[in-house]
Amino acid sequence: MQVQEALRSWRPWVGLLFVLFLLWVPSSGIAGGYLQTLCFLTFLYVTLSTGWNILGGYAGQTSFGHATFYGLGAYSTAILVLRGVPPLMTMPLAGLIAALYALLWGYPCLRLRGQYFAIATIGVGEATRLLMLNLDDLIKNNTWLNGFLQDGVLTGGATGLMLPTPENISSYAVGFYYGAMGLMFAALLASWWVKNSKFGLGLFAINMDIDAAETIGVNTVYYKNLALMLSAFMVGICGSVYAQYMFYIDPQTVFGFPMSIAMVLMPTIGGIGTLAGPILGAVVYIVVQDRILTANLEIGTLKLSLSSMHLLLYGGLLVLIILFEPKGIVGLQQRLARWWKRRTGGVMARKTT
Amino acid sequence: MTIDIPALLVSAMLLAGLYATMSFGLALIYGVMKIVNLAHAGAMMWGAYAAFFFIVHLGFSPFLAPLIIVPLFFFLGILMQRFIVRRVMNAPPIASLLLLFGIWLIMQNIAYLVFSGDTRAITTPYTMMTFQMFGIAISVNRLLVFCVGILALFLLQQFLGRTYMGKAIRATAQDGDASKLVGINTERVMEIAFGLGIALAGLAGSLMALIFAFDPDFGRSHLLKSFCIVVLGGLGSFVGVALGALFLAIAEALSVLWIMPAMQDFVSFALLVIVLIVMPGGMMGLLEKLKKS
Amino acid sequence: MGVLIQGDNVCKNFGGLRAINKVSFEVKEGEIFGLIGPNGAGKTTLFRCITGVYPATSGKILFNGKDITRLMPHETCVLGITNTHQVVKPFPDMTVLDNVRVGAFFGRGWVQHKVKDAAKEAMRVLEFTGLAHRASSLARNLTLPDRKRLEVARALATRPQVLLLDEVVAGLNPTETDMMIALIRQLRDNGITIVMVEHVMRAVLGVSDRVMVLSFGEKIAEGTPKEVYTNPEVIEAYLGKSYAAGGAASQQINA
Repeated sequence: MQVQEALRSWRPWVGLLFVLFLLWVPSSGIAGGYLQTLCFLTFLYVTLSTGWNILGGYAGQTSFGHATFYGLGAYSTAILVLRGVPPLMTMPLAGLIAALYALLWGYPCLRLRGQYFAIATIGVGEATRLLMLNLDDLIKNNTWLNGFLQDGVLTGGATGLMLPTPENISSYAVGFYYGAMGLMFAALLASWWVKNSKFGLGLFAINMDIDAAETIGVNTVYYKNLALMLSAFMVGICGSVYAQYMFYIDPQTVFGFPMSIAMVLMPTIGGIGTLAGPILGAVVYIVVQDRILTANLEIGTLKLSLSSMHLLLYGGLLVLIILFEPKGIVGLQQRLARWWKRRTGGVMARKTT
Repeated sequence: MTIDIPALLVSAMLLAGLYATMSFGLALIYGVMKIVNLAHAGAMMWGAYAAFFFIVHLGFSPFLAPLIIVPLFFFLGILMQRFIVRRVMNAPPIASLLLLFGIWLIMQNIAYLVFSGDTRAITTPYTMMTFQMFGIAISVNRLLVFCVGILALFLLQQFLGRTYMGKAIRATAQDGDASKLVGINTERVMEIAFGLGIALAGLAGSLMALIFAFDPDFGRSHLLKSFCIVVLGGLGSFVGVALGALFLAIAEALSVLWIMPAMQDFVSFALLVIVLIVMPGGMMGLLEKLKKS
Repeated sequence: MGVLIQGDNVCKNFGGLRAINKVSFEVKEGEIFGLIGPNGAGKTTLFRCITGVYPATSGKILFNGKDITRLMPHETCVLGITNTHQVVKPFPDMTVLDNVRVGAFFGRGWVQHKVKDAAKEAMRVLEFTGLAHRASSLARNLTLPDRKRLEVARALATRPQVLLLDEVVAGLNPTETDMMIALIRQLRDNGITIVMVEHVMRAVLGVSDRVMVLSFGEKIAEGTPKEVYTNPEVIEAYLGKSYAAGGAASQQINA
């Protein structure tokens, strides 16, 4: 009975249609493959966003340093591939390395409350970036460590690392398109599972009142670290995918603060702590960036490069969201739904306090 | 590699003065309102660009520029507090953190828009001058900046210690509710404190523009150093900030002896994280504990 | 009736301030144990030392013979001691049911496999405490008496052996207070040992089997309610020396 009712609702059908559309995109060749690339990026960013949301949204621990995990994932893959490890095998390893690094600095830092943890993550993010930037120079004189260098290079410093490109690039890209899509659905599934599990309930309890959660039996230290590690794992795998897709990585991009910012902005704008929030936030992020990044604006004699406009926009959105609708786009949608219900629901739909 | 340690230490001392100026604004806002002002970075960066505008474009003297910048930024800070920040005062602190982060993003990207990402520098007749004292070459630029910074801090100390508003600020920092009960208009106090904090950030930025090159991303590593100093010193303690600034400047200077110059910033970032975890009371807290035992 | 909780010369310092000074006590199984004293006496601090929110500076606390002095709050909860808070701390954006589900999932009941279905257990507890009709309301929308009951329900869902109630009737009117006291009696009849910190004398002295009095961090009296409220030192601690001599105070308490 329930299944029949569910099938009658339009939502699953639209969803299915949309998924079919996504599956068809590579063969369609729309915009000369540009839509495919855009969708691929969206899949990746939805995964990133969802990963951050587990720590920042469910557990409520805002991290401004998640680029650390992205970068570690990317560099783990790059370094291993350059030493002969098959690229796809490096993916889980990349995630694992990111998760272990998370545990290393996360365990002491998660003892800090809210805003202090956030500041610490900025520090860790920047420190890691500097470390990776200078790692080669740091270890080249150390007889024990410099065995890791290959042709004098481990991380490649500012010039980064280049991966070998495959023969058939376009079918490779298509393969990655479907792979990323699969990854995204896996991440969403994981996020959904966490949200409805005992683990997720514990995380939300920690988010809303950590002292109460602790006295009611939640092992807050354990759960916070677990959330951080899971989040790092997901983001690390994304980093690995990035490295395998771009064939070139450098510390500025993958370890950079802008990357961390993106991971904070997407779920916060979309709707922090929700399932759909990270998805919406990522889509908005990619679409806005795509439309605006290449535009230019001329006002009188001022030639403005709009390449930074998207961040300006997000900054503004973030401010508006914190001030007026902390639940982001999802919150807005819920408000609209309630308003609509009140308008069309008549006598029965009365506002409850 | 021969390194002139005395010269290094003198240079560090001069830098410490600047670091202290840079950090006081952060410490003031945190002390009074218990919020971490991420827009501090934006204010410093805008201070640098404002100085650039006044000195390079309009040809003002490098000493005139701060005199204009300070009141301007003070006013800006008050506006920010009154219309924006005040609304999240009752929300959990992470909300104000994110809000100020958003404001920083806006500030940073307006700068990118208007000034582009090119690195700027301000050169004045003083930039290359040095003079000799006890056989050590001291950069005139840095000395002047140091003096202006110390002057500003002195004035701030006087203000906080002797004027009604200054005392009201210190009272609110210690206990907001008690201050309200004795008739202090804490809303006003917070506006003034925030304004002062932003003004100090702008001042620091305009001074730093004379020494360092800058671009719209300018505030960030300095922001982290300021955090480090404020936390080191003991959040909200002004003497502590001065001590913390000294400590960091010397640590950075001496670190050149052991680690690569490129990793110098690493020292402050790592120190920040370590101090946050190990010494939440900062150096002042440590001193208090030592006094008691 | 065995001794469940045993405190042995417990001390707690905050910097230079000695909040609790060598307090020894015993809580027996199945009793309602009252903990009273003027403000600042150290009652909530003692609670926090028992559960582990504050580590005791010195002394020992035993639970069922096991040393729990150094344990974290979630560990003592899983062993069987759950507390409620003076200022209620519901999870505001969760439903009442979910609030209690947290207790059901993470408390002793779940860990000892006595609770298998957290949602069912949560509903059961809500029915027992009279909150079932509010199960799907958000905790932030509850009235104070309901919030207090939610606090108790959530703690109950952990299936504690000992329930530490911190000023659970504060802010309630006499009718609500009576309902809460009736609930407490029911809990005891169901086998839960209760330790209550309370200021409302009518509530705590009327329902407790034994009472301990703290003043300025020290134990100044222990015994049955009657023994305690006629104790001159207790009267002095609350009302000052001038009342200690006369019977005015005991008349107050009897009213």
